[in-house]
Amino acid sequence: MLALCASTLALPQDWPSRPVHLVVPYAPGGPVDLSARLIAPKLQQALGQPVVVENKPGAGGNIGADFVAKSSPDGHTLVMGAIATHAINPALYPKLAYDPVRDFRHIALLVQVPNVLVVNNELPARSVAELVALAKRQPGKLDFASGSTGSTGHLAGELFKQITGTELVHVPYKGSAPAVADLLAGRVHLMFDNLASAAPNIQAGKLRALAVTTVRRSSFLPELPTLDESGLKGFEMTTWWGLMAPAKTPQPVVDRISQEALRAIESPDLRERWRAMGSELPGARTPAEFTAFVERERKLYAELVKRSGATVD
Amino acid sequence: MEIFHNLYIGFVVAVHPVNVMYCFIGVILGTLIGVLPGIGPVATIAMLLPITFNLNPVAALIMLAGIYYGAQYGGSTTAILVNIPGESSSVVTCLDGYQMARQGRAGPALAIAALGSFFAGCVATLIIAVAAPPLAEVALKFGPAEYFSLMVFGLVAATVLAHGSLIKAIAMVLLGLLLGLVGTDVNSGVLRFTFGVPELSDGIGFVIVAMGMFGTAEIIANLELKDQREIFTSKVTHLYPTKQDLKDSWAAVLRGTALGSMLGILPGGGALLASFGAYTLEKKVSKHPERFGKGAIEGVAGPESANNAGAQTSFIPMLTLGIPSNAVMALMIGALMIQGIAPGPQVMNEKPELFWGLIASMWVGNLMLVVLNLPLIGMWVKLLTVPYRYLYPSILVFMAIGVFSLSNNAFDVLIMAVFGVLGYICVKLECEPAPMILGFILGPLMEENLRRAMLLSRGDPFVFVSPNKPISLAFLVASTILLVIVAMPAIRKKREEVFVEEG
Repeated sequence: MLALCASTLALPQDWPSRPVHLVVPYAPGGPVDLSARLIAPKLQQALGQPVVVENKPGAGGNIGADFVAKSSPDGHTLVMGAIATHAINPALYPKLAYDPVRDFRHIALLVQVPNVLVVNNELPARSVAELVALAKRQPGKLDFASGSTGSTGHLAGELFKQITGTELVHVPYKGSAPAVADLLAGRVHLMFDNLASAAPNIQAGKLRALAVTTVRRSSFLPELPTLDESGLKGFEMTTWWGLMAPAKTPQPVVDRISQEALRAIESPDLRERWRAMGSELPGARTPAEFTAFVERERKLYAELVKRSGATVD
Repeated sequence: MEIFHNLYIGFVVAVHPVNVMYCFIGVILGTLIGVLPGIGPVATIAMLLPITFNLNPVAALIMLAGIYYGAQYGGSTTAILVNIPGESSSVVTCLDGYQMARQGRAGPALAIAALGSFFAGCVATLIIAVAAPPLAEVALKFGPAEYFSLMVFGLVAATVLAHGSLIKAIAMVLLGLLLGLVGTDVNSGVLRFTFGVPELSDGIGFVIVAMGMFGTAEIIANLELKDQREIFTSKVTHLYPTKQDLKDSWAAVLRGTALGSMLGILPGGGALLASFGAYTLEKKVSKHPERFGKGAIEGVAGPESANNAGAQTSFIPMLTLGIPSNAVMALMIGALMIQGIAPGPQVMNEKPELFWGLIASMWVGNLMLVVLNLPLIGMWVKLLTVPYRYLYPSILVFMAIGVFSLSNNAFDVLIMAVFGVLGYICVKLECEPAPMILGFILGPLMEENLRRAMLLSRGDPFVFVSPNKPISLAFLVASTILLVIVAMPAIRKKREEVFVEEG
């Protein structure tokens, strides 16, 4: 019994014995990739082995996540698991090859970014209440854009429709950049965009921000109200991602990486970078809290996706 | 006079020794990865991102931009020498560039590509400096309806790309459209033709198809011909373009630059059309369209200039609106965001040294590229003297590495092999891959924009020809006229001159 305890608590002697692969299930350049590339050198320094970022994009992140779920659980393969791969896609893709809770160890939640409700400047709505009133006066006339079907931007719009009882038409794009272009031009009326990427157009007065989707205000744009305080009680959505590993990765390894990762994102230089991405310090602090968080998010989005009617065959 | 002041700010930044050094590193790296088939700027910039985090943002952006347009230069080298387009823009360079190489005129082809690109780069840089903000407004005028009509026009014009049978060209365009359907439907999120393979759910990658159809197929076809390949180099007469070459191509360079600069401004796939458009244009205006596809230097000069001009002007939507035109631009935005700078309307006023410094550095970088590339031509041409039995395995290996590096997935290499076989079959059937590639690129964009326009108009098809969408209307009218010309019997004779290969 003692021996068993010792074997599960002590760090395996041969870990890390070779480079640690950090799989990013998205193409390079996005926020998930950037944060992986920022944290990799920190982990490398702490663990004494190279930490290599490897992009495995495809199928909304499912390919990379599935690859890691089926990798050897020896602490040498990690993945940046995100809201898409671990909360939304399980509801969206009925034939997903992995289970976001059972097949992973959730190590450390790294980033939580609010979405922001932005409208075209010409739209005569200066607040959430005015937008709701406008949408009620002309049901089915207003369009909301999103980066793709099943994205947080899409689901935030669906949640907005539900809570306010309004009728908006969803217009999906391939990525949020072309959606923003049409929003700037006024071809679509509103959008729930990532805070950091929407910020420059908001600050330049080219788009009007009405609210953030988190329950607490963002330190990035503190003057902006939340949807929750704008009359949409209980509206909460954040885009998040963090480090995960295959399910059977030993607990001591998980704990060690978790500590190092949290230390890294609390270091002054990464805090500065995180702020530039619009991220708050994450709510979950331990692997157990992160797992509970993932389970909660998965339930929330299962419900939301079902009610929105979005699916992928 | 403000423009001179701004350019002055820019050049002060750009000629700062540190920035010159990063610009140089950028263009050298860019040229190298451009030359290596399949290894593209996206993978390279992704790997370099962590380094840029600790650089001054101006230097970082100058280096990344250098990699981007350096790769455009380098990409044409591989297209001309070994018929492998590394970028969508070099597909058309293969058509006449590779034929020139087979005739022992690789040198002039490379030189004209470099010179045309340099000229185009200078002009486009000037355009950005003079008119970036108003041009960004033009970009915003293009919505789904306008893009759709532009693509229709592009596709109609594309039938001219072929120099063989028209029926075969249309069949290949259709095949391309079909292949473009594979993947997730943007509107509904439903998977199409993926056969349960998750790797197919984002569609088939362009680079993979192009490498297979052009590169792998060419290698298979060459291996059939045992020793003929060696003849390539014995025919080399001169390394640099003759007076006649320059006379033939200067107008093409001008036209290509103009077309490329215009299309590059459109973030939703405009730059993709630039080189295809320029080739079509050259063939249309040429007095001897029958020379195209058989080593016409205009067929290299026009598209190469268009491509480089487009690559430069595609910085306009990124710098002024924060909207990236392609994956490389998205990476640059990512790099800037990490530095706490979000590209958008305010960059020009708040960070003039960044904005103008980048623009001036593009000019510096283009100059470096031409100085760097002209002397390299001799070396590249020498490369062709390497016996094919050594050359082709290395090309294959590089292609496989390049394709693998796209998403670190061996499945992509397999797909490339499949397209290699398909490409070989097409070579045997005398069906050309270029129209297929165009259909493959344009098809999904067309569908996406068509359906988005219909969604926004709530199903009203007249949205494409409505008077309050004059741009869309104009493109559709132009397409109709083009179709009528092709179909009219009186002009049929002329068309046959365009299409029939060997008289």
